[in-house]
Amino acid sequence: MLEIKNLHAGIGEKEILRGISLQVAPGQIHAIMGPNGSGKSTLANVLAGREGFTVTQGEVRYEGKDLLAMTPEARAGVGVFLAFQYPVEIPGVTNNYFMKTAVNSVRKYRGQKELDAVDFLKWIKDRARLVEMDASMLSRSVNEGFSGGEKKRNEILQMAVLEPRLAILDETDSGLDIDALQIVAKGINTMRSPERAFIVVTHYQRLLNYVQPDFVHVLANGRIVKSGGKELALELEEKGYGWIEGAAKAVTGASA
Amino acid sequence: MTQTCSPQLSVFPAGAPVRMETQGDSVRLRVPAGCEASLCEIYEPQGDAAYSVQAKLELTLEAGARLTHYKLVQEGFRAVHQSFLEVHALASASFESHVFLFGGAQVRNTIHVRLAGDGAQCSLNGLYVATGEQAVETHTLIEHLKPHGTSREFYKGILDQKAQGLFDGLIIVQKEAQKTDSTQTNKNLLLSAQARARSNPELKILANDVKCKHGSTIGQLDAEQLFYLRSRGVEKEDARRLLIYAFASDMINRVELASLRERIEPIVFALFQRP
Repeated sequence: MLEIKNLHAGIGEKEILRGISLQVAPGQIHAIMGPNGSGKSTLANVLAGREGFTVTQGEVRYEGKDLLAMTPEARAGVGVFLAFQYPVEIPGVTNNYFMKTAVNSVRKYRGQKELDAVDFLKWIKDRARLVEMDASMLSRSVNEGFSGGEKKRNEILQMAVLEPRLAILDETDSGLDIDALQIVAKGINTMRSPERAFIVVTHYQRLLNYVQPDFVHVLANGRIVKSGGKELALELEEKGYGWIEGAAKAVTGASA
Repeated sequence: MTQTCSPQLSVFPAGAPVRMETQGDSVRLRVPAGCEASLCEIYEPQGDAAYSVQAKLELTLEAGARLTHYKLVQEGFRAVHQSFLEVHALASASFESHVFLFGGAQVRNTIHVRLAGDGAQCSLNGLYVATGEQAVETHTLIEHLKPHGTSREFYKGILDQKAQGLFDGLIIVQKEAQKTDSTQTNKNLLLSAQARARSNPELKILANDVKCKHGSTIGQLDAEQLFYLRSRGVEKEDARRLLIYAFASDMINRVELASLRERIEPIVFALFQRP
């Protein structure tokens, strides 16, 4: 489904990703872990098409297509979704209107019939239950005045509404209390299916207690320095990132 | 080229005890003590040829009277429009104004409010939108003459292409006008590198026990918001239009008159339709 080959990317002259390769198949959950500044969020943002990053080498294929050549809206259209680390507030646009516009834009892209107001309302209410979101939050401006936990739940709601085939969650667990974390985890687990893949970017192992990954990759200094099963996350929790960073420096040093 | 067109003026509710007299281009209107009314002032485009419009409206609100004034200016793209509004508010009177400026080659909206009685208040709201080579100006003067007055002013501007916008707002608090409470805000959204906005909020305070605040901003569409919308599948142009509308929406939502709100919404949406 997703094939990342030797991806180098950065901001301006500064290289952040230094040769990432990763393959994700439908149905899989990949956790990407690593210390601050290792490039986790850059990877998530490059995949979603955020402006300001330059790809200097390598390629990303999504279902055989060149993902990096697509606009952000086209990526959403083909089923790629990014849950933002810092969800954006949009005063003056209600959550409801925002999601209806998003759903119908994506449906139009996919050649599906747009939902009318009644069908959309049924759909959003059904999805809102999944993340235990009160209907009153749908009539408020997008993320405006939402608590940290509410913003992250709103990201999961958007994922549930848009039904992506590849969902990238950028530190969705950070700053959540245990109740919000469980709601977010439940949202992800409910969405889990043989056709859908997840890339879960996280600093901590905590979320992975509730969402079982198939693979764990450790990112340090812009490279995947270790890959393994879910037990790797536990090992990181126990030992910290220090030993991995030491290994990464050795790798970088060797190639420099 | 010059022709003068008067606005369409309507007072409601029907039978409101309002006295109106017309003298040339000038209209005088008086709201008796304790009475409440609304007034609509509408200018529709008179074709694509050059023409000019000049109008003056003088309003007097007697003690405790309340008036809500709505003004919609939509002129032809070669038109020159100048309109003046003078308001005289006596004790505890309350004046509210909503101005929407949507076109004409040159549009100049001037408002002068005198809060001439104890506890008089006014709220001036406005949205100006200009594109092409249009120039749109708003000049407001709010004079606090007596104590315990309140004034609220909030104007927003959206400027595209080579348009020029000017907001010139002066608030004078006279020596006698103690306990005045006044705020003034002007926010501008520039949609192109050639568009220009000038904002001159100004306070002149002669009393010593007052609460006054003013501020202005000039900015562009937020790149983060644009990316957020696009990452959810919304096409760039649609995302842009949605954010422009969102910027304008709080001015539109302040309009309680549903028929006018429903008339303004599609105008704002249509203005930024790009082929």
